Parts: sequence; C-alpha cells; structure tokens
Amino acid sequence: MPPDNGHYLVAAYIVAGVIYLGYTVSLMVRGSRARK
Amino acid sequence: MTADPSRANPVITRGMVLTVLALAGVAAVMMLAVRYTPIEVNQGLAQKIFYIHVPSAVVAIWLAVPMTGLASILYLWLHDPRLDRFAAASAEVASVFCLVVLTTGPIWGKPIWGTWWTWDGRLTLTLFLFFLLLGYQTLRAAIREPLERGRFSAVLGIMGLVLIPFIHLSVYLWRGLHPKPVVLKPSEPSLPPEMLHTLLIGFAVFTVLYIGFVTLRYGIQLAQDLREAADAA
Repeated sequence: MPPDNGHYLVAAYIVAGVIYLGYTVSLMVRGSRARK
Repeated sequence: MTADPSRANPVITRGMVLTVLALAGVAAVMMLAVRYTPIEVNQGLAQKIFYIHVPSAVVAIWLAVPMTGLASILYLWLHDPRLDRFAAASAEVASVFCLVVLTTGPIWGKPIWGTWWTWDGRLTLTLFLFFLLLGYQTLRAAIREPLERGRFSAVLGIMGLVLIPFIHLSVYLWRGLHPKPVVLKPSEPSLPPEMLHTLLIGFAVFTVLYIGFVTLRYGIQLAQDLREAADAA
C-alpha cells in the first residue's frame, strides 16, 4: 500500500505553477509595455 | 542601422506565443503525471513531483546556465551586444527554473527523506548556483555603463558554467540523500515506460518554456536598448 501523501504533490504543483505563471505575467506585462 | 524600438515587436510576439504554448504543455505534463503514470509503491503520490522537479532541474542546469556561460565566453571574445542580451535573458530564466527546483525539491524531500532540507552536496551547490544567478542580476542592475556591465556579468555567467560539473558529479563525489540520475547516466534509463515517456515529454515541454521565456525576455531588453539608442541619437 503506497503512503498517503498526495497533499505534497498538490503543494508542489501549486508552487511550481505560481512561480512559472507569475514570471509569465511579469514578462507579458513588460513585453506589452515594451511594444508600445 | 536605425534604432527603431518597433524592431523588437516580432521577437516579443514570438516569445509570448511560445510561452503560452509551453505553459499549456506544462499543464498537460501535470495531467499526464497524475492520470497516466503509475503510483510508485514506496513513495506514493509525492513521487509524481519528479515530473516537474527533474525537467526544471535539467533545463536549469544543462541548458539555461550552460547557454548563459557560453554566451558570456563568446561576448568576452566578440563584444557583440546580442550575446550579452541573450546571456542576461538566459540567466534570469535560469534563476526562475532554479527557484522551482529549490522549492519543489524540499516538498518532495519532506515525505520521502523526513526533512525539508539537508546540506547534501547536490542541494547545497544548487543553492549556491541560485545565489550566483541572483548576484548576476543584482550586478547588472547596479552597473549603468553597457560595456562594463557586459564584461563583469560575463565573468559571473562563466562562474555559473564552472559550477555545473560539480553539481552533476556531487551525487557521486559526496555521500548524501539526493538520488543518483535515473535517465542522464551512461547505462539505460531505469524507469518504467509510462514514467519515462512522461519525463521525456516534460523535458521537451520545459525546453520550449525556456526558449519562450528567453525569447520574450530578449525582446524586452532589445526594445529597451533600441529606445535608449533612439533617445541618445
């Protein structure tokens, strides 16, 4: 029986998602300003 | 050549499209990891952090930092501002990938090793690399003169490249908790096919994400440089 630790998976995916999405938003905002 | 800032627009647009496509790919990798790959008997669901942690680490350590280092070496030789711009973009993106590695790693480590952090060779050197990348960006922000900024930051970019073999060999040189490579090793990968396929798709998707981020970041810097040149003219 595998250990019950799915919440660590959810936490890791949320953290990775927030970092990648946050950086994407930062680049998109800077990119849109640079295009004007 | 005219310093028209709108010359950067196609680069920025290309970067935005690639980034959005790659982010959709990251979501697909997460779905594949949850639904397609088997649950590892000893580690449980936490093992699936592997599909985000490992491709992020491989892209940071085997692509982003080496590209920064190589562009830095070439910049010191050729003094081409495009190389400096590329090195700066790649270093910033490398720090983002490194941050994901340094946060998802401890979240995986806690249920498996019983601790969030240990001063293991691989972990410690990756942390040093992250600090070095932060130092690289701080240095760039502190120097206004472009030639001086490019020369000094290139030296830091090369220092990052020098760290890479030590990070790779750390699991062989020092005894620690971090596991040895399961794919990037001389013998065949030691993974079931579903795990290997998902991991390989992850490598491809995170490589496209790196290219998208770097293209976008490069375009932003190019627009700024062209604007400064236009203002100075």
